[in-house]
Amino acid sequence: MHGNGTASRYAITVARTGERFECGPDEPILKAMARLGRKGIPAGCLNGGCGVCKVRIVAGRCRATGPVSREHVSHAEAERGCTLACRAAPDSDIELEVLGRMQKGFFGT
Amino acid sequence: MGVMRIGHASLRVMDIDAAVRHYERVLGMKTTHKDAAGNVYLKCWDEWDKYSLILTPSDRAGMNHVAFKVEHESDLDQFKERIEAYGIKTTMLPEGSMPSTGRMLQFTLPSSHEMRLYAQKQYVGTDVGTTNPDPWPDDIKGAGVHWLDHCLLMCELNPETGVNKVAENTKFFMEALEFKLAEQVVVGPGGAIQAATWLARTSTPHDIAFVGGPRAGLHHISFFLDSWHDVLKAGDVMAKNKVKIDVAPTRHGITRGETIYFFDPSGNRNETFSGLGYLMQPDRPVTTWTEENLGRGIFYHSGELVESFTSVYS
Repeated sequence: MHGNGTASRYAITVARTGERFECGPDEPILKAMARLGRKGIPAGCLNGGCGVCKVRIVAGRCRATGPVSREHVSHAEAERGCTLACRAAPDSDIELEVLGRMQKGFFGT
Repeated sequence: MGVMRIGHASLRVMDIDAAVRHYERVLGMKTTHKDAAGNVYLKCWDEWDKYSLILTPSDRAGMNHVAFKVEHESDLDQFKERIEAYGIKTTMLPEGSMPSTGRMLQFTLPSSHEMRLYAQKQYVGTDVGTTNPDPWPDDIKGAGVHWLDHCLLMCELNPETGVNKVAENTKFFMEALEFKLAEQVVVGPGGAIQAATWLARTSTPHDIAFVGGPRAGLHHISFFLDSWHDVLKAGDVMAKNKVKIDVAPTRHGITRGETIYFFDPSGNRNETFSGLGYLMQPDRPVTTWTEENLGRGIFYHSGELVESFTSVYS
């Protein structure tokens, strides 16, 4: 698939909102979204710790690019296709469902 | 007698190698010890005690405990009495519970964070020494932070149920540990709710801060730099190392600090900041920020809150 030296880019589609952006094969989905200045998945620490970018892969295949906090994604959830978008790189076009959300912030703002 | 300063923070990390690389290459700390359990201990070049940061392998991010150093060994016994009289249980951990460290008084804050006090930690010296020292050493990596300066703990605040762990922690720190209140944010009708506080034992505006939120956690640990230009350079270092920057260089209204925020590889937030802010003195009047000026208090230039900064923590 990447034989000619030009890395494939995959289409990432956010279910419900229909937001769509491209992501390289070795790039975490959330990083691609942030790099392009796009929206659709809540973005926090981008390092697997905060959990706001929790998603479920509805269609397509992903690879883990690093550990995800077990506080936010249990082993059982991971088996059902849940992960953090900051720790998942696409192996195909992806459709995902956003599960995470920004919590209330300082003083309930 | 008394608390001197923040002594160390113990953080959970999900990839110990990546974490050590971050704190060494980006912050500029040096590893001083590794224990059999896989914990890694680091210090900054301008610190003289053995370590100020412990990284603990875990399956999640966050803070295990924060420790403050007291002046005399006997202070630990006096604080034990005082804290228990305040109504908080304590445990005296024997010397050697942590490497190179004397006995530690362990207790849980009203906010549920674990805190420890200790008086002894192995002296190893700063990287420039004490005799005719240069102002900085030649082998600094990355941002070259001077010292762990303070931390900000998120504390449960729910006005509807009357839960305010910010106010409870603040009262405890002032009454039992003799911290001084430097600044506060008040919200709600008549400003009746103390929603965030900055407290000091040193001569700087804060050694610890508490901010109200939906649950307890670690908002950030912060390291000192000399100047605004060092904060800019720290940003350059982060770009070189592809570190996720949360808030680009700016100034806080609260404490006047010049700052940049970023995340370690497990999503624990770090800050490097510069500027004394002001000389904190016991008789300095308390600075108060009101709800409608909260944005200006936090980010002085824009006056606007940043969602990830106010909502995301470990």
